[in-house]
Amino acid sequence: MSRLNPVVVMYDVVTPYGWGAGACWEGLLSSQTALSQVTRFDTHSFLSSNAGLVSDIRPKQDDSLVIQMLKPLLSEAASDIPIDATLFLSSINGEIEFIQEHFLDKNVDPAQSGLDCLLKKVQNLSKIKRPGFIVSTACASSTTAVAQAASMIRCGDTDCALVTAVDCVSEFVFSGFSALMALAPDIARPFDKNRQGLSLGEAAGFILLMSEERAFREGREVLGQIAGWGLTNDAIHMTAPSDTGGRLAAAIQKSLTCADIDIQDIGSVCAHGTGTLYNDAMEINAFKKVFNNNPIPVYSIKGGTGHTLAASGLIEIIISFESLKRGITPGTMGLLSADDLATDMVAPCTSEIKTHVTISTNSGFGGVNAALVLKGK
Amino acid sequence: MNIEISGIGWIKKGICGQFFKNLSYDYDELRSAPSLLVQKSILPSVINKFNSFDTVSKATCCAVALGLDDANISFMTHKMEDVGIIGTNQSGCLESNLKYFKDYVAGGRNLARGKLFIYTLPSTPYAAAAIHFNCQGPLIYTGSSQAQTSSLLIQAKNMVSTDQASGMLAILAEQNYAVCFVIIKNHGQLNGKSLPVDKVISGLDNETDINEIINLLSM
Repeated sequence: MSRLNPVVVMYDVVTPYGWGAGACWEGLLSSQTALSQVTRFDTHSFLSSNAGLVSDIRPKQDDSLVIQMLKPLLSEAASDIPIDATLFLSSINGEIEFIQEHFLDKNVDPAQSGLDCLLKKVQNLSKIKRPGFIVSTACASSTTAVAQAASMIRCGDTDCALVTAVDCVSEFVFSGFSALMALAPDIARPFDKNRQGLSLGEAAGFILLMSEERAFREGREVLGQIAGWGLTNDAIHMTAPSDTGGRLAAAIQKSLTCADIDIQDIGSVCAHGTGTLYNDAMEINAFKKVFNNNPIPVYSIKGGTGHTLAASGLIEIIISFESLKRGITPGTMGLLSADDLATDMVAPCTSEIKTHVTISTNSGFGGVNAALVLKGK
Repeated sequence: MNIEISGIGWIKKGICGQFFKNLSYDYDELRSAPSLLVQKSILPSVINKFNSFDTVSKATCCAVALGLDDANISFMTHKMEDVGIIGTNQSGCLESNLKYFKDYVAGGRNLARGKLFIYTLPSTPYAAAAIHFNCQGPLIYTGSSQAQTSSLLIQAKNMVSTDQASGMLAILAEQNYAVCFVIIKNHGQLNGKSLPVDKVISGLDNETDINEIINLLSM
């Protein structure tokens, strides 16, 4: 490997399955969804009452929901995070409770909800001294942030990057997705022929990347490699994806070129798989284009965790590395009967993977597409 | 081969312009700006659904139109598959967030408006530009805890130099103000009508904000 190759040396996560990547992995393998009834706010007017909630966090505390997720993760890890790391924060709505409280409860300054304020808090929690970056690219935010961080490492602009990601379930976001008619009435069923929409979720996580040279110098265990990345845009519609999947396919091709590997080297795909009619159809078409009708295991975790918005990419990258470690993919939670075009790709049960290389993809509002090639250790 | 700025378009209240063409145009209201740009042959036709955009999206699209024309790039004929957009602002989408939730609360917390909700994503104004101008490369909203303009240009330059895109539109956009820098590789085709990105970055003050930049450009 080149000494500037970006490698993963540490990660941690909290999801509706609990604290830690292991808890999320075990939850996904248990065939039990972590989606449950929302009691945080009144959902009777919305299309759904269900979401993926982190059980230990509560609204209207001293710390916002997102800080309640990030603080334990980063406080525990701070001593192992270099203070000269370049910090990335991926979030769409940040501490959105400040907006809610401004109108509903008390006279709070809504400007506190800004992502710039959250970036400062994350910087303090992680004890990083260098300036940081916000990356907010809809539901492909953290995948994009990891791509940016990896690119900076590969071209020598930094040798260490901490990518953090967080979004929470709030009335603000829930009402919006309900208004867009995007929510599944029961739970998300990615790639299912009877899928009816997505379920929201909340999560937080971080990945610590280093150049291979620095990781070796510091004696860090290498958990895997960010081998390639590709970012594109459909440029068609604000909320609906391209029906052909052409630009997602292009993002995947770019990531393969960036990684200097062939499609035959890919053993599995962790898809975006939201459970909406159009997103999942778009992805199926993209995967068929890229894999040229030679199917490999494709899975989505959003039937288990819900769609955790900006955090979804980072959680899925971490689960991808867990998958590579174990040589199997989780089944697609919520899947009962696969879409006719995807029967050769997706399954509700685990699948064996034949190579130590996987692809993780995410797409989002505004037509964004992001693909990463991930190599196991 | 250098990474250079080949076009700069800018817009603020009542006036918009182009840096390399050294032109500026007065306009009355932001909603009328696209018609002006059509008159000046900067846009081939008005921007679809422009009047339904929020003000940041409107300003962004106008700045992009001016920037691309300043760079002599016709988005109708140029290969836009590899042109991306990276955008930033200081206020995020605070105004849009307030507008959305105020409307939702005023409606009794029963029915939200999807058309307002979509503007609560920081990336939406840049996505609006990507859709109209067919920019199919990367799309990123970024912010930085350091000098905003420099950071934006550095990131855009790096994306072009590492071949993540053949060109990047680097956009600063606030309510009613926007600047669009067109950043591409100079293979010798620009004939002196360009500025090296590094030179612009080194010339920027740490605290240069969008108003100062527009004032500098419009001088």
